[in-house]
Amino acid sequence: MRRTDRDQCRTAASIATCLGLDRADRSLKLASSDIQTRITDQSALFARPEDDFRIDLLVAEGERVAQGAPVLRSRRDPELTLVAPVAGEIASIELGPGRRLGHVLFFHMPDGGRHIHDISASRSGEDAAATRALLLSAGFWPRLRSRPFGRVPAPSEKPSALFVMAMDTRPDAPPPALALDRREEAFGRGLRALARLTDGPVDVCHDDALPKTMLGSIDGVRWRKISSVHPHGLAGLQIATLHPAGIDRPVWDMHAEDVADIGEFLASGQVPETRLVSVSGPALQEHRLMRSQPGADLRALCFDIVKPGPHRLLAGSRLDGVESRWLSTRSRQLTVLRGAATTTRQHWFSRALRSAGRPLPIIPTAALEQAFGGMLPSAALVRAIVSNDAENATRLGALSLVEEDLALADNATAANPRLAIMLRSMLDRIATEKAG
Amino acid sequence: MRGIWDRETVALLLLAASLPLVTTWLVTVGTEGILRLGFVLISAGLWHVAFMLVRAQPPSFAGALTALAIAILAPAGLGPIPMLLGISFGVVAGELVFGGWGRNVVNPATVAIAFLGFGFPASPWPILPIQLGWSVIAVVAIGAFFGVISWRVVAGAGIVLAAGWHLMGLTTPIMTAAAVVLVLLVCDPVTSAATSLGRWLYGLLYGALVLLFALGWNGAGSVQIAVSAALLASLAAPLLDEIAIRVWLARRTHLG
Repeated sequence: MRRTDRDQCRTAASIATCLGLDRADRSLKLASSDIQTRITDQSALFARPEDDFRIDLLVAEGERVAQGAPVLRSRRDPELTLVAPVAGEIASIELGPGRRLGHVLFFHMPDGGRHIHDISASRSGEDAAATRALLLSAGFWPRLRSRPFGRVPAPSEKPSALFVMAMDTRPDAPPPALALDRREEAFGRGLRALARLTDGPVDVCHDDALPKTMLGSIDGVRWRKISSVHPHGLAGLQIATLHPAGIDRPVWDMHAEDVADIGEFLASGQVPETRLVSVSGPALQEHRLMRSQPGADLRALCFDIVKPGPHRLLAGSRLDGVESRWLSTRSRQLTVLRGAATTTRQHWFSRALRSAGRPLPIIPTAALEQAFGGMLPSAALVRAIVSNDAENATRLGALSLVEEDLALADNATAANPRLAIMLRSMLDRIATEKAG
Repeated sequence: MRGIWDRETVALLLLAASLPLVTTWLVTVGTEGILRLGFVLISAGLWHVAFMLVRAQPPSFAGALTALAIAILAPAGLGPIPMLLGISFGVVAGELVFGGWGRNVVNPATVAIAFLGFGFPASPWPILPIQLGWSVIAVVAIGAFFGVISWRVVAGAGIVLAAGWHLMGLTTPIMTAAAVVLVLLVCDPVTSAATSLGRWLYGLLYGALVLLFALGWNGAGSVQIAVSAALLASLAAPLLDEIAIRVWLARRTHLG
């Protein structure tokens, strides 16, 4: 911390500033034109082994592709295609057993051009079936998330509601209002197109930061003004409160910037190249907002501002981030933490004391309630998740939640094992039972 | 800052919140109180150590809270053997066999005090000095500020007790005992109700039980009345939570 910063910290009012809690607000004052665009040299389409994403390749190693050109196709759902995040050369392809995607690595070439998709059939999103096919083939589909279970929706799935998050309350998240700046028209077109994909409502959650001019009246779209305190801006908690998801009642959610991207795509046929990304964390000298491509190399986004010493890169916020080399499909944040993950040696006795009583008890205090924003019966829900009581957890709204919704509770209560992990295993079990 | 609200933080904050009460109590009862508190702390601590060694169950600062409540509220004039029996029963059967603080269903101090009070009816229940009642205000303020004591429980109980004081003439000793038991036993976050509505109901139920016993239980000591009310209320807490959840679900039926 610089000296001036330290002096500021002496007044109680600025403690929040020094903790970095209002950085997102400060960055809002930036005009969107001030934000640099940084396309990293390397980028990747990747999947984790547990995603079980089996693919057919449409390109070969060494081939040159234009930005937005189809690169691979899902074997399970052949309509679902992923496209190149940048124009360039396919540097390497790594497939796991059973043709599961490991990664497809791209080297950026600035003069590689942009692929133009044929958008005539969708008529700017008015033809629902054609729009669906177009979103599937142009790589937009994985940007949608379906609950329960938090997966990429099946190509034929019809959601009972769709939530568009035009706010992000996670610490240091890039403000969606800034990402939507001067894109009113594209956002509106995207919303109209999405509204045709569902029979239910499209709920747009926003806070004060979203300019009034954005709030146009569109058929089937409801505007929901939400408190801008974390965790109110998490899609899961809003879905659990406003339109709970169920086994036969899938609810989708999508980031507002992606909706504007869809709107732009439906007008031009080109997949937008960049998204607004925030780079922050205690191991950095400054907090930075930039535009970068999906699948960007996280190291290249922060190498020039990282403090000396070991550090870890998380795709996502410091609460829910996952260690990663690349920016994942839905994430818009890079958090850099100090220190490598080291294991300290423990005496056998203290290790026994730490591990014998797992899962550790969670005391229902006001802190736990705040971690759920007071929107769900937190203590009962946490108890059901910890005791793996799927029936009660379902009753209390667990099907609307995914890992990121429990990240704050995890951080507040030091739950061990993490609530997010326990919720994931419960959701997987429910999904298996439902399928079998 | 990860994990600041773990079990031990909550226990330490509860201990910190109860300091005004402890200080007031020690000032009024003097050396005898220190000896008594020391005895209870050691006997409860021994059981915690035993369970740590045998069952690898980490000991908790909440054990000190239990000891504190037992020292203040248990009947006076009991010898060391009956005290040891009561403390052992409360700490072991009320808390440690369930896996320690955070997993128990009833407050170990409530169990121990009820065991001692009803098991040895010849020994008199303590009469709490009136200052203790006033120190409860500080305890509630600190506890509610940190969120470890639920203001809803306190408000629920407070409404009923205040009504009883004004309309039905509850006596000062009963009010004092009810207030002290409220913060030491009833507000324990683990065994009290855990939903918002449930906490209101829980506080109201505790207050109503105190009122009922005060009006209809002839010859009972003030602490006896409050402890009995706390025991019954904590047994009803899961039911109150279930009611609160049913109400919450019923209000959401239109959401599908």
